[in-house]
Parts: sequence; C-alpha cells; structure tokens
Amino acid sequence: MTYIAKKCGVCFQPPSIILIYKEDNKDKTRQRIMPVRNFSKFSDCGLAAEQLKNNPRHKAYLEGVSLHQLQKLYSLLKGHLGGESLAESLEKFRQEETIDPEEDMNKLDDKELAKRKSIMDELFEKNRKKKDDPDFVYNIEVEFPQDEQLESCGWDVESGEEI
Amino acid sequence: MADAAAAEQARDEAAASAEETVKIICLGDSAVGKSKLLERFLLDGFRPQQLSTFALTLYKYRARVDGQAVLVDFWDTAGQERFQSMHASYYHKAHACIMVFDVQRKVTYKNLNSWYKELREFRPEIPCIVVANKIDADMKVTQKSFNFARKFSLPFYFVSAADGTNVVKLFNDAIKLAVAYKQNSGDFMDEVMRELESFDLQKTTENLSDKEESCPEEKPPSA
Repeated sequence: MTYIAKKCGVCFQPPSIILIYKEDNKDKTRQRIMPVRNFSKFSDCGLAAEQLKNNPRHKAYLEGVSLHQLQKLYSLLKGHLGGESLAESLEKFRQEETIDPEEDMNKLDDKELAKRKSIMDELFEKNRKKKDDPDFVYNIEVEFPQDEQLESCGWDVESGEEI
Repeated sequence: MADAAAAEQARDEAAASAEETVKIICLGDSAVGKSKLLERFLLDGFRPQQLSTFALTLYKYRARVDGQAVLVDFWDTAGQERFQSMHASYYHKAHACIMVFDVQRKVTYKNLNSWYKELREFRPEIPCIVVANKIDADMKVTQKSFNFARKFSLPFYFVSAADGTNVVKLFNDAIKLAVAYKQNSGDFMDEVMRELESFDLQKTTENLSDKEESCPEEKPPSA
C-alpha cells in the first residue's frame, strides 16, 4: 500500500505529529495522529525525527515527508515546551535559514559551513537547469556589458585601498 | 578486462606526453561556488581526485585549442581557503587563475583583494579571470558595475553555476588563456624556473663528466 503525504504538522496539546494523506488510488483524505512520547525541551530533535521516520508503525506513511520537515516540527514542539511563542520559534527558523550576507564564511567550522551551504543549495537547486531537463543547453552565453555608465554595485568604496 | 584497462592507461600516458598540459587554479572564499562551476562545466565527464591530505580537489579535462590536444588540470581548493591563504604548491606552475566571488555576499568581493595579492606574490603574470557567480539569485546585479576587475585590467564574467550562464565560455576562455600563456610565457618566475631546471641538468652532466673540477675541495674560509 502506498500513502501519499499531503500535509504534515505538529499539535502541541496533546503533543503529536499529524499527517494528512491519501491512500494510493483512493480519493478519501485521511488523517493520522502520531503521539509524541518521551520528548522534552531537552530532547534532540534530529534523533526524535529519525526515530519517528523509522518507527515500524508509521514508516510507510511518512515516506513522503522529509526528515528535515519532521525535525522542524519537533523543534517547534521543543520551543513550545521551553516557553517560546510560535512566532519566536518561527523567527528562529527564519534566521537559521537565511544567509547573513556580511558573514565571513572562511571563518566557520565544517559543520557551520555545511549548514550555510545547504541553505544556499536550496536556491541553487531551485534555479538549477539539469542535464536531463528537456530545455537544457550546455553552452549558454549572455553578454553583460560593463560600461562606465552603469550604476556602481556599491561594494567598491570605503575599502581604504580605493583612495 | 585488466588488459584493456592497462592498454587504455598506456594510451592515456602516451597521449599525455604528446599533448600540451596546463594547470588552472580556482581561488575565492568558501561557498562562492567554485566546485559547482567546475561541475557544471564538466557535467558527468569529470573525474575528481580528492587529495584530502593537501585539501585540494583535482579535475582532469581534455580540450582542443586550435586543433591541439590539451590536457587541463583544474585545481579546486577543497576547504583550504579557510586558512585565508593557500599553500605555495597550489600556485606552483599554474598557467591561469579563475577567481570567484558570490554576488550575494559583499565580503567575498572584498576578499578578492587578498586573494589577488597572494596570487600575484606567487604568479605575477598569469592570466586571471574575475567571476561574479550566482547571478541567477538576482539578475539585477548584472546591470551594475564591479570595479575590481577593471582596476587590475582583468577579464570579468557574470556567471551562474545553477542555470549555466557563461560557465562554458568562462572555462573555455580560461583554457585558451592558459595555453597561450604557457606557449608565450614571459613570466619572470617561469624563466627562473626554466633556468633552474636546465641548471640542474647541466650540473648533473658536469658532475658525471669531470667530477673533480665541478666539486672543488672545500676550504676553510680564510681569515
């Protein structure tokens, strides 16, 4: 039996992960409530997400839900258990998922750098033309003349060396 | 199977000795997309060699320039850039440089200064292309002027490793520049290297022919 995940969310009270899904070849939309047990504000969201995804009872239903999404849902729950408002938790996500353009990434360790890279990879994948895409062209040449009249990027000033 | 592989390798080696080989290095901050640009250019045809001991990735590529076969070694930094500088061997005998920044991150543009400075310490004359990557994130940047390249009279390309804009052109031009540089190199350091290499040879032959004369007895320095 194949299940097609439609939506996946979290319920704070009682703590549970909720999946809206359809069974293959059937029209009816169903809801599955997966209670969250033994989870506190000190728990590891990554581990909890993995355990749920590999849980023999839920596994088949969660095939279409990414580990990343489950992890985020657990983070929301964790934030709630730690006294954060939903808005605060979501703002944290936003910060974690955006790039600080001023940050010098040469100074990050492997783990932090990998995090930034995976954030930037999202846009890369979104804009990516793959070799197997029907409209893929190997050599795309576009001219962007750099003449004097262009507005400056604003990054050339204030560097001290410019004077 | 083993025979075929051996034969292929022998053929590869024979070909390698007949063709021109050039080394092209990539420079730029962490996460500006150096590897992604290389992968877009090479598609599936690449065979990267991870040399983790040296924090470096090597990509081999066969090209033709004006009918001549060229074997290109692309050198990619594999994280070494985080030491804010590269090991001298990275620059050693490079014939061209592709210097990349991310149009979304000012700091990577600012750091071009120090990358360029280091490049010129080791390779004062090799062709260097400045590359503004990730233009797919914001096409408006292509309507703006970036003066770094103009300041040093370097070629400048707007590219996107994601949608492919100007990637192939960039690498093909870099290969041409590298080959042209190698064949008409006026680089002072290259000349010194050549002198040193031929000097070594001469010395060895001299040593063989008349040992006594070329190795005079050591005398204590006269007071």
